[in-house]
Amino acid sequence: MELEALKEIDPAVRELGARIVVLAPELERYTRALHKKLGLPFDILTDLHLKIAEQFGLVFTFPDYLRDLYKSFGSTLDRFHDESEYRLPVPARYIVDASGEIRAADVNADYTIRPEPSETLRLLKELVRTERDP
Amino acid sequence: MSNLNDRLQQFKKNFESGAAPYNVTPERVAMMHRATAELKASGIEARALKIGDHAPDFALLNQDQIEVRSRDLLRQGPMLVSFFRGHW
Repeated sequence: MELEALKEIDPAVRELGARIVVLAPELERYTRALHKKLGLPFDILTDLHLKIAEQFGLVFTFPDYLRDLYKSFGSTLDRFHDESEYRLPVPARYIVDASGEIRAADVNADYTIRPEPSETLRLLKELVRTERDP
Repeated sequence: MSNLNDRLQQFKKNFESGAAPYNVTPERVAMMHRATAELKASGIEARALKIGDHAPDFALLNQDQIEVRSRDLLRQGPMLVSFFRGHW
């Protein structure tokens, strides 16, 4: 759902001279299928073993009871991610300016709440405007 | 276009109701709520990088196995980075 919502704002993001990029811990064979299925106009990058998510401070390990629950749903993360530990990033969205500085950050430990793309777009517009007329 | 969180909450409601195709039990819903509460309490949101921090550089493979570098993206303008859990 989130990727589809990002797809909807992609043209406006490009018009502002910005790019969307999605980082996921999944291996390319899975991101490739998803990318094709949704017809995404931006890349999904494989953050293997969550190396970059770790640097952003977003990684957590599933408690045992949750691991068993997800396995029973058929979500075998060890296979999708090539690792035996059940680790995931908390959902997060960042806006990074051309100098590499983080200008907007939205991190939520509750995975059922995601940053609203229209709000992300508003923040991006504000950033681009500020950069143009400091 | 309805907003993303409305759609997410609608999905959550259906999922937690125990209806098909997920047929999830109330015990399992309670387990998932407990996990989210524990994660929130762990303070991970406050520890994550925030406004004003420098974003780590990366060079990662995309869905077509082509390397994408954050520095190349930033040369063109701002970058919107979204962390996604997976397709499942």
